[in-house]
Amino acid sequence: MLIKVPSVANLGLETIKVDVEVNLASRGLPGFEIVGLADKAVAESKERVRTAISSCGIDFPAKKITVNLAPADVPKEGSLYDLPIAVGILSSILQFEMPEKSLFLGELSFDGSLRHTKGAFLMALFAKEFGFLNLFVPKDSANEAAAIKGIKVFPIENLTQLSHHLLKRKNIEPVVYKEVLENIPSPAEFDMKEVLGQEQAKRAIEIAAAGGHNIIMVGSPGSGKTMLARALPGILPPLNETEALEVTKIFSAAGSIPPGGSLMTFRQFRAPHHTASLPGLIGGGSKPHPGEISLAHRGVLFLDEFNEFPRSIMEAMRQPLEDGYLTISRSKQRVMYPADFMLVASANPCPCGYLNHPKKNCICNQNQIRKYQKRISGPILDRIDLHIAIMPVDTTEFSDNQKNTEFLESSQAIKQRVVLARQKQSKRFENDFIHSNSQMKNTHIKKYCKLAKDVEAILRQASLKFQLSARSYMKMIKVARTIADLDQVEEISVNHMAEALQYRPKTYEQA
Amino acid sequence: MAQVVEITDKKYPKLLKEIGSLAPKKLYYKGNWPALSHAEGSDEIFENCLAVVGSRRLTSYGRRATEQLITEIAAAGVTIVSGFMFGGDEAAHSAAVKAGGKTIAVMPCGINIIHPEYQKNLYNEILENNGLIISEYEGNFLPQTWSFVQRDRIVAGLSKAVLVTEASLNSGSLITASYAKKFGRKVFSVPGQIFSEVSKGTIKLIKEGAEVVAEAKDILKFYKILINPEVKGRPTSRVMSDVPKTGTLEEKIIDWLKREPMEADAIARALCVSAAKIGTTLSLMQLKGFINQDAGKYYVE
Repeated sequence: MLIKVPSVANLGLETIKVDVEVNLASRGLPGFEIVGLADKAVAESKERVRTAISSCGIDFPAKKITVNLAPADVPKEGSLYDLPIAVGILSSILQFEMPEKSLFLGELSFDGSLRHTKGAFLMALFAKEFGFLNLFVPKDSANEAAAIKGIKVFPIENLTQLSHHLLKRKNIEPVVYKEVLENIPSPAEFDMKEVLGQEQAKRAIEIAAAGGHNIIMVGSPGSGKTMLARALPGILPPLNETEALEVTKIFSAAGSIPPGGSLMTFRQFRAPHHTASLPGLIGGGSKPHPGEISLAHRGVLFLDEFNEFPRSIMEAMRQPLEDGYLTISRSKQRVMYPADFMLVASANPCPCGYLNHPKKNCICNQNQIRKYQKRISGPILDRIDLHIAIMPVDTTEFSDNQKNTEFLESSQAIKQRVVLARQKQSKRFENDFIHSNSQMKNTHIKKYCKLAKDVEAILRQASLKFQLSARSYMKMIKVARTIADLDQVEEISVNHMAEALQYRPKTYEQA
Repeated sequence: MAQVVEITDKKYPKLLKEIGSLAPKKLYYKGNWPALSHAEGSDEIFENCLAVVGSRRLTSYGRRATEQLITEIAAAGVTIVSGFMFGGDEAAHSAAVKAGGKTIAVMPCGINIIHPEYQKNLYNEILENNGLIISEYEGNFLPQTWSFVQRDRIVAGLSKAVLVTEASLNSGSLITASYAKKFGRKVFSVPGQIFSEVSKGTIKLIKEGAEVVAEAKDILKFYKILINPEVKGRPTSRVMSDVPKTGTLEEKIIDWLKREPMEADAIARALCVSAAKIGTTLSLMQLKGFINQDAGKYYVE
């Protein structure tokens, strides 16, 4: 007896339909076989299905069972086929009709219950697009799938409950989507208010947030680089609906949505350690997985101790930094992951970290400092718009007023300006397929950043004096554009340009 | 390419010969060696030599001091002798080259080697400006720990006086200074802050009787050179009308910076002005040339 149970396979962010064909032959020696380019996790599904069905008090049929995952030439991975295979076998034992326009996905436990499985959200998107009406997924994965409107998502606790439903004895109620706000760590660990001093750095972070610019902070240990970076999410605008879908898709593919999780509405703040592997950071592996740069999509990728990252990783980041996505090619498949993130890097100025420190002495010689600073790849530095030096703050020298955080601007207040500046940009770039000033190419700069004569004169003078490269010249215009947007004016003035020059690329040599 | 001068040659520097048994038997060199060392005439490269040495970890203060002093001294015709190391030596050589003065680099390695190699541009500039590269080692001899110290005796030996810009207590600059004392040459020292590690050596020299240098005049007097009013290189005085009017933000900033170099943040706090505004003003002032920035701090030009 042949039964077809529809399910899906996720190749990167793409989803294709997979038919799980289960055949229970009445002739032949009893056995259990899975064919159709299944990986180890799928092959092991035999044991889980057999034990789970027995645990529900149903005798596992002593027949020759063959499962085919069609199309047979697409590699299938993961534990999501446990449920469709079990449903196929149960259907032939219990003799129930397969529900129409339904998709199944889920990993089984030995006791017959279902476990949280990755990819439910991607399957829901696929279902919506191709007209499937019912989704049967584990209870813990049901909420994320229900984020897609117009389909019924049935949360399944165990096989017994499901067979009752399919035998129409006791129905399972479709899940009602609810946004989960608890358990989500607050996006910002610090409020900008808590950062004492660092006026210029805070301003630079604000500009970076407003224009989506990459930023690098160079300063001694303990000067507050990490604190500033971690305060950044608090001034970023929330994700809009399309962005939230994009981010949730990547998280679903990576299996990073927690059990019971919902749509990702916060901008991500990813802070991988510098010992992270290249596939872990950029994405890849034999079956390409999204890396940290994709998980930071539309959010912030914070690379602390930037010079400690291997050269290979820095170079690999160049293309995604430029294009906003990453293509991973394998002989059998090609996967595209979006990776449009804001890079926030921090570095020490020298190996000992105390170059130009007001109190401590640097013990490095110039040669060591040169070598250390050369570790950051030039092309990467070229793609970073804002460069700031962070000096340690001695709060004992502050007056009581300066120490009183009540007088400082809160993240909320800064966020309002950032949101307004971003709105200005999305309006400007409506028809340009970009969404922030940082993404402007030369044609956009020509179109949207017309410089008055005096402004251009200042920039020319500065590029001679500070020896700015051609690329830096363009970066200064982009940053000035963002500063003008923060001021809510269309024209870039001399003042905007002069401020932008503060964040020009510098060498942090002991000079 | 490299040529050699023997101690028996007439053109061997007279002052260097005076150090007796320590004088190198042979000197390899690159550049235009003058025909006769004891020929009369003020244009002689070995006539008025000043050794300028300083810490490899020169601070921004040390660099500014070196630039200011050496620009004037080199422009007045004194030859700047140093050891081509990065930091203090490099600052002295490049200030001399920029001022259009003469400079001699004494290498701790074979004459065919440039050490440190990344200072190649400076090396070429020295030669282009009629300077000399000297070494007592031939060929591709690599620098050794001891050869740096040996090099110091030639630096001191060539010069009538030694100027130490910045030095920590275990700095090689102090070795050069002690050679100078041994050879009976004058020692000058630039005073620094008592907290700075690289001022401890210079302060020690002052305690031991070195002469304090606060301006180029202090050294030029020793060389009996009248101060040349026209100094090539950086302009020293500014037309008064350029200086911002009293009471403006620019004026207030200059007031603060005259006391000590400050970071943008500290200026913003002192004047209670937003970081955006202070950044804008500082950029504009820097472009106008009122102030300059070094190691994160702004100072008045």
